[in-house]
Amino acid sequence: MTASRSVILGLVALPLVYFTAFFLVPLMTVFVASLTDAQQGGMTFSNYARILLDEYHWSVIAVTFRLGILTTLICIVLGYPLAWYLVRIVKWRTWRRICVILLVLPLFTSNIVRSFGWMVLLGRNGLVNETLQAGGLIERPIRFLGTETGILIGLVYILLPFVVLTIGNALAKVDHSLEQASADLGASSASTFWHVTFPLSIPGVVSGSIIVFALAVSAYVTPALLSGGRVTVLAVLVFQQYSSVFNFHYGGALAITLLVFTLLMIAIASLVSRLGAR
Amino acid sequence: MAIRFLIRVLAIMTLAYLMLPLIVIIGASLTTSEFLAFPPQGLTLRWYEVVVLDPTYVDSFVTSAILAMLATLVAVALAVPAALAIARHDFPGKAAFSSLLLSPLVLPHLVLGAALLQFGSSIGLVRNFSALLVGHVVIVTPFVLRTVLPLLSREQQTLEEASRDLGADAFTTFFLVTLPQIRSGIISGAIFAFITSFINVELSIFNTTASLNTIPVQLFNYVQYSVDPTIAAVSAATILAAVVAIIVLDLTVGLDFLSENE
Repeated sequence: MTASRSVILGLVALPLVYFTAFFLVPLMTVFVASLTDAQQGGMTFSNYARILLDEYHWSVIAVTFRLGILTTLICIVLGYPLAWYLVRIVKWRTWRRICVILLVLPLFTSNIVRSFGWMVLLGRNGLVNETLQAGGLIERPIRFLGTETGILIGLVYILLPFVVLTIGNALAKVDHSLEQASADLGASSASTFWHVTFPLSIPGVVSGSIIVFALAVSAYVTPALLSGGRVTVLAVLVFQQYSSVFNFHYGGALAITLLVFTLLMIAIASLVSRLGAR
Repeated sequence: MAIRFLIRVLAIMTLAYLMLPLIVIIGASLTTSEFLAFPPQGLTLRWYEVVVLDPTYVDSFVTSAILAMLATLVAVALAVPAALAIARHDFPGKAAFSSLLLSPLVLPHLVLGAALLQFGSSIGLVRNFSALLVGHVVIVTPFVLRTVLPLLSREQQTLEEASRDLGADAFTTFFLVTLPQIRSGIISGAIFAFITSFINVELSIFNTTASLNTIPVQLFNYVQYSVDPTIAAVSAATILAAVVAIIVLDLTVGLDFLSENE
């Protein structure tokens, strides 16, 4: 590299200072506070003990991660066929373009607005219950709001486009000559799919899953609106501590717990995908 | 062929599922009834009139728009030099530098919001516009970095070297050779950045007040207690804003990214 040190410094300095001051340092502040005793000061693990030795907190963690895992699985099951449709089945470019716009539109709309739409749809007299009743499928309205099912419907809805985009990108990159070769060698189209195309699309599935899972376990708005306060997830606990209780020590420990669990799951997912790719 | 048909049906149904809540909101915002109704009872634009005449909504809209615009500008100013450094130079800690700038993408925004509140309260940076801006810049910068980086390819570098060899200085080379090549990345990154800031709740919610509010946070506060056609009208307005943003994105950089390159 011929560039002088000053050029590099000139390019790096501002972003580095900014991200240190307003990203790294604030996170460190939370971490330090989570390890500090609320009353006496001094280092302590009591804030974490309060979370990890308590049954209630584990049940909240369980709900959070159950919702995260289910959301991810359902997103893949619904997202894969849609991605396949957009990449492989749609031949008319304009229609594909419209579909992609429809897919991205929810991403460009606030979580509030989208969850609000579901509040209207899933209510006691909402369109979903009325349709199910009119169709004779149920006798009395099902309660969706304030249940894990309601939150799940909302989370899947909000995160589905991410999976479709990542899987779609992976499918678009698959080399057709490999599938051709498989067919020429006598494989059925199902067998070509399972042995050639699907494995090649796994990186897209994994990166989509990681995004969805990370966003699902840390989602605050959707659970807050669709739970009506009846179902508690980790993010809701964090918010309560910072917005109304103002206990930065216990709140910090909750925030770090959420962060660590999220990063841990992401690490496991990428490890599994790397092992699977071998 | 039966499977193909099944996929087609499933895909169309999934697309319909994606559209449903948005259609419901737009429909409900047109109702003539005093309460939220879908299908709407009659058609009227009077709820939009109520919104436009309500200064708190207008103020929040303006705050959100200015906030998103400034956050995007700062993000571009931070991300483009960072991308140039990462793509063109070797320096110690390069990998750490790039993951530092990209990590807000996977970090829960709520955790970052809480962290900035706690840190900000120790230096007096709370519940004002600067506090909002500081946080928004952190979460939107990675979007610009991620769209600009892939455009700074090796072939690109030889063009820059040719420009330098022909006697152009660093600034001329940047503006005449590099910038035109990464322009589409900057535009699409900036649009994603703008939207991400414009719809954010998790970060803003810690630093908004009754007099300084962003539109999503204001909606969030209302929706938790009451739902009426006014809320639907505000929501529908943000959906229309999103439609405009997507059309701009489609026309400038093209959204045809799920097609196969054959």
